[in-house]
Amino acid sequence: MRLTALILATIPFAAHAQAQPAMPAPDQTAQGDVSVTIYQNGQSLVQDVRQLDLAAGRTRQEFPDVSAQIRSETVTLSGPGLGIVEQNFDYDLLSPDKLMEKAVGSVVTIVRTNPATGSETREQARVLAANGGIVLQIGNRIEVLRDDGLPVRVIFDKVPENLRARPTLSVTLQAARAGRVPATLTYLTPGLGWTSDYVMLFDEAKGAIDMQGWVTLTNNTGTNYRSADVLLVAGNPNRGGGGFSQLGDSTIEEAGTESGPREKLGDYYLYPLAERTTIANAQQKQVSFLDVKNTPARKTYEWTNGWLETQSDPRSAATVLKFSTSKNGGLGDQLPSGTIRVYMRDARGDPQFIGESRVAAAPMGSAMSIRTGDAFDVKGAAVVVERKRLSSSRWRTSMRYDFTNARPAPVTIDLAQNGLWGDVRLIEQSQAGERVSADRMEWKVPVPANGKASVSVVFDTRY
Amino acid sequence: MRRILLVLSLLSAASPAMGQILVESERIDAVSVTLYRDPGRGEGGIPAGGWPGGYALITETRTISVPAGKSVIRFVGVSEGMMPETAIVTGLPRQVGEKNRDARLLSPAALIDAYLKRRVTIRRTNRATGKVTEGEAVIQSGPGGGVLLTTAAGVEALGCSGLPETLHYPGVPADLSAKPTLSVTTDSAAAATVTVQISYLAQGFDWSANYVAQVAEDGETLDLFAWLTVANGGSQGFADASTNAVAGAPNKETAAALPKGPAPELHLRCWPMDNTSTYPRWGIERLPSAPAPMFEAGLADDIVVTGSVQRMAMMSAPAPIAVMTAQQEELGDLKLYRIPEPVTVAAQSRKQVAMIDRKRVGFARVYAGNFQPFEYSPGQGVSVGFEAARILRTRNVDAQGLGLPLPAGRVAVFERAREESLLVGESDLADRAIGEEVEFATGQSSDLRYTIVARPPSKKRQSFTVEVINARSTPETFELPLPFPLASADAKLIEHKGLRTWRVTVPANGAARLEFALKREAGADPNRGRSRP
Repeated sequence: MRLTALILATIPFAAHAQAQPAMPAPDQTAQGDVSVTIYQNGQSLVQDVRQLDLAAGRTRQEFPDVSAQIRSETVTLSGPGLGIVEQNFDYDLLSPDKLMEKAVGSVVTIVRTNPATGSETREQARVLAANGGIVLQIGNRIEVLRDDGLPVRVIFDKVPENLRARPTLSVTLQAARAGRVPATLTYLTPGLGWTSDYVMLFDEAKGAIDMQGWVTLTNNTGTNYRSADVLLVAGNPNRGGGGFSQLGDSTIEEAGTESGPREKLGDYYLYPLAERTTIANAQQKQVSFLDVKNTPARKTYEWTNGWLETQSDPRSAATVLKFSTSKNGGLGDQLPSGTIRVYMRDARGDPQFIGESRVAAAPMGSAMSIRTGDAFDVKGAAVVVERKRLSSSRWRTSMRYDFTNARPAPVTIDLAQNGLWGDVRLIEQSQAGERVSADRMEWKVPVPANGKASVSVVFDTRY
Repeated sequence: MRRILLVLSLLSAASPAMGQILVESERIDAVSVTLYRDPGRGEGGIPAGGWPGGYALITETRTISVPAGKSVIRFVGVSEGMMPETAIVTGLPRQVGEKNRDARLLSPAALIDAYLKRRVTIRRTNRATGKVTEGEAVIQSGPGGGVLLTTAAGVEALGCSGLPETLHYPGVPADLSAKPTLSVTTDSAAAATVTVQISYLAQGFDWSANYVAQVAEDGETLDLFAWLTVANGGSQGFADASTNAVAGAPNKETAAALPKGPAPELHLRCWPMDNTSTYPRWGIERLPSAPAPMFEAGLADDIVVTGSVQRMAMMSAPAPIAVMTAQQEELGDLKLYRIPEPVTVAAQSRKQVAMIDRKRVGFARVYAGNFQPFEYSPGQGVSVGFEAARILRTRNVDAQGLGLPLPAGRVAVFERAREESLLVGESDLADRAIGEEVEFATGQSSDLRYTIVARPPSKKRQSFTVEVINARSTPETFELPLPFPLASADAKLIEHKGLRTWRVTVPANGAARLEFALKREAGADPNRGRSRP
């Protein structure tokens, strides 16, 4: 093991720090005390308190290291004794061709190197044009830059004022008096976002889960936020739920009615991060917010037939995990929307991934049911045994649902028949089911270990 | 190799400076890889070429020295397809504070970006004398549209003068790493050497079962052999990995896009460089300098065991004798296949290990037809007939020599002729649990043909006649599913897979015949016209 102690001092290249102003280190920033509030709709609020050394009267102040995607119309700057004259957001970026373009008409220095002797000669040249190639006037002659292919250095006196390396915010201030002033800069920016990711370890024998929740932050703004105070706002401001509304496919079986101790903003839950953190550009960061052990959970199977039709190829039942977010016998917290990844231990005790499911934001006390995947050994098929015409608009449809279980333990399958509209009536059934809605009926079908089971139902359908 | 770097965080004046110790972990002690099928691929084998659409759970075991107090641990060299939101770190003395995955890698452009407005050294070499001159420079712009420097002489552009010149940097910024890196923060009461496990899901992997069914000489049984084919499309290999594959269909949501790092290449763009002899060539789009690389993935695939490529050649030899066979375990409602010895899952490679080897599996040969109702037309002649599909059918039970989970994959069926094994058909097999029916398609038969003729309909009935002829010297079973409302049939129909089916044994060099009629009713299907809710 090699041990290298590298100390990066705050002023890194002290030897070079001569008359010029102190050069910041590569990972230093102009940001002050930064707080970032991140919403789930892609907008974030950044507040940056910077100490400004101001002279009395009007001064133009640049604010580097703001988000490169800053919405400049949302910028506000305030501080004791500060008045705003104007705000500018300049994104005319400095590059060699821009610099040459701006130098048209002005004088530059050119340095030629003799290829044989290596000696240098300096000349003053006026840039006449920069269209396709550079046309120069040197004394009385006109020349095209590097027309002979020989090396020529072009040296400009200075960088034009309004060309910048990065998009820059500048504010012209009216300061009441000279001195150091704390100025609060706030703005909105896209490019920061968060979601939650859950890790669930399911112990089937114990019927219990361990669950960890992580907040996943992403930063695509092009800017690092150093040592920021981060607040996350959970909720879905003006954004669709994304496919959770379908009947019978929801991850929330029954929404909860318990209130938690978490801080709220309107109806949004707030998740402040415990410590200041640096959100680097192009970074995905995760911070823990939930860790619950040994919560009861159970596994069930679900098999849904979308329509009164024959499904002759056996189809796997979905494996469903059910648990609660209640204070009593549950996770005891509300869940921001995110993805739950479920793991189980294999024969050697190593956790293996068994599937994942997106969940909608769930209040505390909710009954949750998530589909982790298809069961290899539990399958079902639906057969239309008979479809008999009773009249021009009435039919008698006999359905049979066949289930197979190749597992060495008995299972119970939640069979659901959708597509009943409101007008389909039940005539007879081989076991009692429940009409949960006008469109859907459900049966609990026990299937013995390594065995089969069938349910027969006769419907009166109208057309 | 582990390095401990002490970094005094360079924080702005407003926030308190806090020392965090940086621990780098580059060595992986042990790794295990569990492969999952591409959820959107269907039932067949892994398509040749391209980025595999499946994923893998990778668990790395690393030994690190955790110092007392707050520290940042950087795990260097995680898989490039890592989905960072899935990372789990266990084994640290205290909990993980935060986990970070940085997309910024050390590259020429990243250095320019990190040293923007910072001081670097410019070095010029005189081509004639070889004399080297060095000077200080401050990077004024870059790396997007070219690099501008402030030197002692003034403002200059890098790489535009035609002189050999280069930049030197005083050091590598602490947050740039050479390989994909996951870093975590932790806080330990005392210094300790610990073994940590990092698990994460990574994209760019896939696996499939590849079955070889060899029909025995007598035509009564077949030997079923399956390869577990593992594909790694990434540029990172896993040496001596304990390797597993999971069969079944775990639910997988679409992964969110990763934050993109800045482009690593540095293009030193200058001002317009046309001169008298080139003008007006400048501005015309130039042709790409080199031809785009050929579709490499498929070609570069490194077939570890030549199972599919040289199939014909290999199959004329006796069936492979598997020394190492993947072992099946239960994993909840999925099946886990464990390769018993550590193997190397190399970068951009496919590997095959035996997973199933069953001898003398009983099967039945079945010929199947297909019927769709059609309207009678008086002018229609009698067609030559359709070729029946030839199917090898068995049941996944002990009595037939099977009785084990059969994961989805591609099946190649071989039969013997002229002292050789020859391919007779390929088909896809879905996941088959114990007790289910299993079918292998072996193409169409020109020896069993069937014709279906429509008779003139009545008001309530549409009659059809089916005739099957058998040119083989053995009696054969023929099946025709008739999943339509039937008015009559002159033979007994059975139910197969929920469908009413005519099953008949066609005598050797003989024929069989069925007369049946469908009901003709207005709105025959009550479902017609209704769409699914």
